[in-house]
Amino acid sequence: MMKRNKGVWALCLALAAIFSMTLYASAEEKLTGSAGNPLRGVEQLKTARLAAQRGTVGQFIAEDLLGDKKGELLTTYEKYVDAIASLRQGKVRAVVMDELPAKRFLSEVAGLTLMDEALSEESYAIGFKKGNAGLLGQVNKALSELKADGTLAAIFDKYLNGDVGAISPEGIDLNKGAKGGRLVVGTEAGFAPYELKVGSGYIGIDIEMCAAIAKKLGRELVIENMNFDALPMAVSTGKVDMICAGITVTEERKENMDFSDNYVEGARQVAVVRADDYQAPVK
Amino acid sequence: MGVKTTSRRGDVFLWLCAAVLLFLLYQSGFFTEAAWDDFGRRFYQNFIKDRRYMMLVDGLKATLFMTAFSTLIGLAVGLILSVIRVAYKGGVPIRLLNAFAECYITVLRGTPAMVQLLIWNFTIFASARDLNTQYIAILAFGLNSGAYVAEIFRGGIESIDPGQMEAGRSLGLSYGASMRYIVLPQALRNVVPMLFNEFIALLKETSVAGYIGIDDLTRAGQNIQALTLEHSQPLVMVAIIYLVIVMFLTGVVRRLEQWLSRGRRG
Repeated sequence: MMKRNKGVWALCLALAAIFSMTLYASAEEKLTGSAGNPLRGVEQLKTARLAAQRGTVGQFIAEDLLGDKKGELLTTYEKYVDAIASLRQGKVRAVVMDELPAKRFLSEVAGLTLMDEALSEESYAIGFKKGNAGLLGQVNKALSELKADGTLAAIFDKYLNGDVGAISPEGIDLNKGAKGGRLVVGTEAGFAPYELKVGSGYIGIDIEMCAAIAKKLGRELVIENMNFDALPMAVSTGKVDMICAGITVTEERKENMDFSDNYVEGARQVAVVRADDYQAPVK
Repeated sequence: MGVKTTSRRGDVFLWLCAAVLLFLLYQSGFFTEAAWDDFGRRFYQNFIKDRRYMMLVDGLKATLFMTAFSTLIGLAVGLILSVIRVAYKGGVPIRLLNAFAECYITVLRGTPAMVQLLIWNFTIFASARDLNTQYIAILAFGLNSGAYVAEIFRGGIESIDPGQMEAGRSLGLSYGASMRYIVLPQALRNVVPMLFNEFIALLKETSVAGYIGIDDLTRAGQNIQALTLEHSQPLVMVAIIYLVIVMFLTGVVRRLEQWLSRGRRG
């Protein structure tokens, strides 16, 4: 019996060694540029390997860019972190995503940059089940009040100009025990500064905005954290009351769900590239 | 028996492997100060800062909770189904039950657990908003596991010599009593190791629960990734935690096997 146990521990040790080597390998991950032919502008993205998060507008833009070649050149990932990882490893040459979350990657991960030229400008809105006019009306009313009294602007200011690291979920009033029942909001908490899971709670522009809306509606905010591509399904089956995850309004999406008034206008979609694989055009 | 020598030889081999790995690590500069500084800094950021390890602990709790209760459902469902499947195919009710059981096992074994999970959450329980999502996952994984457990049990029951059942019946016991007091206890002893392996597989299967919004262990790792924007350390840590649990459970199965084979002849 003792002998066998020793074997188990030896195996454990060996596996731990393999794992720690993996850890080390990733630490040493070198940013590998492409030989002598860096990207110059959007035109070259049309024939480059691209990545995007599945179900996001970044995916749709990349598909439009690549046209027929999208099957061959586009890789979609469940999480942004994975798309950025494959960019750093040289598996793709650009990741198409929203500018604000992209900037956060740039501030944390060395060796990346944004293409100067934006790929498109989009608006964000809250999504509802098709035909849920009652709640949509209430939320639109609350939203316009929040815009008018400056609450929304203050929330944006807090996240765009303040220290996001200092914000804790405990500081956000979810209106617990409200008489109007629960307001269940679906989101994908990996999209800073709009939504992020911290400890056992959530922070972000969308989260605070929804908390303010819930307060206006006299309901308790409940966050359901799911994968982005599962959100449309969750709202159309009634799993959640509404979805708020930096969702871009598109004509196609409007066919399957209703949208509130926009709460963000002109959100730029950009291409994240490796700094050594991009030569900015001379102005 | 030759167990002792084999295991000693195995030990030497494993230590040798470990030594080679350590040498390779040394060669690749793993033990330089710079590498460890960077490793330590990222480790701190991923797991220590703001008590982020608690996210993994909470995730582990959810994973173990789901595994434990879906195991129970799986056992109950599997036992019932297997008894139906091996029942004497006489009357119409039994035939109907048998057809149902066969259908159940075919469908639940023939579709991926993740697809089933999505269907349970977004189709069958679409309107169950106040129900904790974890309960839906437990049901989905439990019923899925039940189909596999049923086949394991059936194999166990069919491995018992038909003479055992005949002996019981000829002593005047009913079919049910013979099954319960003679066949099942023997069958159970044969299938315990396989059952345990099924539950180990189930533990790993629960890693897809993030799809319906449950922060299980895997999802906790992804949540840390989203916070620190680092992709390798959180995932490797999650893998290590799974591995440690699985190795512990595998050890338990091995002990159990030895214990069960104590009273056996030959």
